[in-house]
Amino acid sequence: MGVVLPLEPIGRNTEKISYSQNETTDLALFVRTSEEDITGWNRQRIVDALLRETFIDPDTAVRISKDVEKTVKSGALKTVTGPLIRELVNARLLELGLEQNRRMHTRLGVPLYDVDQLLVHQNKENANIPHGPEATNLTLAEGIKKEYALLHVFSEDVADAHLKGDIHLHDLGFIDRPYCSGQSLEYIKKFGLNLPHALSLAAPARHPEVLLSHMVKFAAALQSNFAGAIGWDAVNLFFAPYLEDLDDKGVRQLAQMMIFEFSQQAVARGGQAIFSDINIYWEVPRHFVDVPAIGPGGKYTGKTYGEYEKEAQRFAWALFDVYQEGDAAGRPFFFPKPLVHITEKLFITEGHEAFLEHICDVAADKGNTYFVFDRGETAKISECCRLSFKLEARDIEDAKKPWKMRYSALQNVTINLPRLGYRAKGDDATLFDLLTEQIRLAAKGHQQKKAFIEKLMAHGENGPLSLLAMKCDGENYLRLERCSYLVGMVGLNELVKTHLGRELHDSDEAMKFGLQVIAHMNLVCRKMGERFGMKFVLEQTPAESTAYRFAKLDMAHYSEEAAMVVQGNVENNEMYYTNSTLYTAAGEMNPIRRVEREGLFHPLIEAGAITHIWLGEAHPDKNSLKGFVENVFKHTQNDQIAFSPEFTVCLDCGRTMRGLRDDCSYCRSNHVDGITRITGYFTRVSSWNKGKIGELRDRYRNPNQL
Amino acid sequence: MTLFTRNNCKLCKKIKSRFDLSAMEIKIETLTNDNAGALAHLAWHGLVEDARKSLPILVLDDSSPVRNFARIENRLIERSNKLGVPFQSESNIICEGGNCALQ
Repeated sequence: MGVVLPLEPIGRNTEKISYSQNETTDLALFVRTSEEDITGWNRQRIVDALLRETFIDPDTAVRISKDVEKTVKSGALKTVTGPLIRELVNARLLELGLEQNRRMHTRLGVPLYDVDQLLVHQNKENANIPHGPEATNLTLAEGIKKEYALLHVFSEDVADAHLKGDIHLHDLGFIDRPYCSGQSLEYIKKFGLNLPHALSLAAPARHPEVLLSHMVKFAAALQSNFAGAIGWDAVNLFFAPYLEDLDDKGVRQLAQMMIFEFSQQAVARGGQAIFSDINIYWEVPRHFVDVPAIGPGGKYTGKTYGEYEKEAQRFAWALFDVYQEGDAAGRPFFFPKPLVHITEKLFITEGHEAFLEHICDVAADKGNTYFVFDRGETAKISECCRLSFKLEARDIEDAKKPWKMRYSALQNVTINLPRLGYRAKGDDATLFDLLTEQIRLAAKGHQQKKAFIEKLMAHGENGPLSLLAMKCDGENYLRLERCSYLVGMVGLNELVKTHLGRELHDSDEAMKFGLQVIAHMNLVCRKMGERFGMKFVLEQTPAESTAYRFAKLDMAHYSEEAAMVVQGNVENNEMYYTNSTLYTAAGEMNPIRRVEREGLFHPLIEAGAITHIWLGEAHPDKNSLKGFVENVFKHTQNDQIAFSPEFTVCLDCGRTMRGLRDDCSYCRSNHVDGITRITGYFTRVSSWNKGKIGELRDRYRNPNQL
Repeated sequence: MTLFTRNNCKLCKKIKSRFDLSAMEIKIETLTNDNAGALAHLAWHGLVEDARKSLPILVLDDSSPVRNFARIENRLIERSNKLGVPFQSESNIICEGGNCALQ
């Protein structure tokens, strides 16, 4: 309800609006409006709102307004609020059986109690968001957008499936943005920092530190336009033309600046650091070898990237020197996450032995290194917790103009697999039918999100997605036609346990059945993609909060069945499902077996999969890790691996210790916090949700098996 | 033994027309858009990426894969001889049209 304004023709009910203009009844009552005003009672405003926002006829609108007026009058109130009047109108709409109109007339908002709680207590849905005024702004805004999405973007069946926990529509609070993205530095190297509506434009950088500054600012701007991670391809290679005149000290300084800039810049939405990834190659990837290099001033240097191998290697080495050192207190950096591509060419590139030792040393010491395996002809850009964009032939063609290499997944929809097991009651045919039905629903949700983003993009550079609609290279920055649509899964392990009575790691039969489920998902996605002309691909959902949400909902709605398989400690609410296709976190097994067996799923999960090796307080030898990584590359199908050590930071003396501890081993203070990898990134344990805390307690560490 | 094949794959057809695979107790897995079982079986052997490069692939009883077409033929000839199952003589067919791989 707004302030009293002259009635102007608006929208579809224009002709009807003047109908009851003269019937306004003023009561000795004041209305607190949502425009921060107190106005006198004006029944006409109810009529206006109903006609403007719903399909209701004028007679019914007037009738409802009179009914509400009567209710308000009978309450002998001195002041009512706009939201209260709206709810009274909604109640009357319901009584009249006008449900569709009631939905259209919904007011989105947050209860006073919830705001009170939010301002005081941290929202732990995403451990990367600190607690503070910006974070509460984010949570409140997300809350409204979530409601909007479920009411207005998605159809009722899709929204209900999400609400019931059959599926999870990720990042509903960012409904007006794509999900994750892979970026190319070449865009800002070529076009400078030229953002729509910016107060100033910057020409292409001429110095490495200026390029870094452009990169960080652009990443911050992109984070405001994407829900998830901002990944950068071949960062060390694309910086290389700027490094020719820098000595090793200068390169090291630049590396330090890059990591600190990304890890300390807690100014993205909600006061969080930018969720950033840098893809790193020791060798020059085949698809960039003959590409003309762009250097200072956005000009071609006259050389190809193949000629910048040494500079790229110097930068890669320096970056890992900085990771190894950690921050001022020796703690691991949380961002940017370094993703090193392990390729066939790496093993024939000079210096690879030493580089592998170096990055394995960092992995053992701080855990930062992600090992991304690009076997054979495979090339990809990786980011987020495990997402990867496999480069197809047309993408490799793009590599000739690398600024075009920007990719995005528009949305992620995850399927609650254990619930399908409960519903199928052991029957294979029912299970696979239900699975197909859920994927169909996910595809429908993707179509709806796509249509919504297309609508926003259609407003062009003056619209709400101006950054994504900018056209420095002649086409929209967001190449919608290249977007992929992710279908994720949670709890394959618990589905198999429900269906067969055994967990994935228990038997070959369980494992083969698990593969059949994922193969089915892969094929149904492919068929849906062909039907709708969209690229539906499987991704191992990180499921930082979804694994907890699904488990909680199933304990509420399928309690008997769920109680048999849910992981964690139900009594203290620390319950969860196992992420995606992973083996149970508690499973005691040799890490090479875990990597090998989990890796069998990975070729079927084309948009990214990973195996975590939880180190605990163990500090394996760098050469053992190096051998391990080489073996994984050569003898398994595994897509990515990461080693995760644990740390304790003392909040009193500031020291960092290996392992998770209850108190500081230096000053004995129990004012400590843990640091380790939650799902795909390092963060403080105190910011984790209960489900993930449950998983952390269960994790089987591999102290001496590497 | 299992032979992973695909419809419209010339090399796969050649194998199937040349050898009596069922008499040789060789299971045929045809990779189609509707056959999740075959894809899962392929994944179990860790051969999805290999199949994306070329088909057919023969998996021996000890689970080791044979990817090279000439070697597959040799293995099948050996088995035919061992089991006394007749097979047709060689005909030179190459994969034309790009269908000899998992799409």
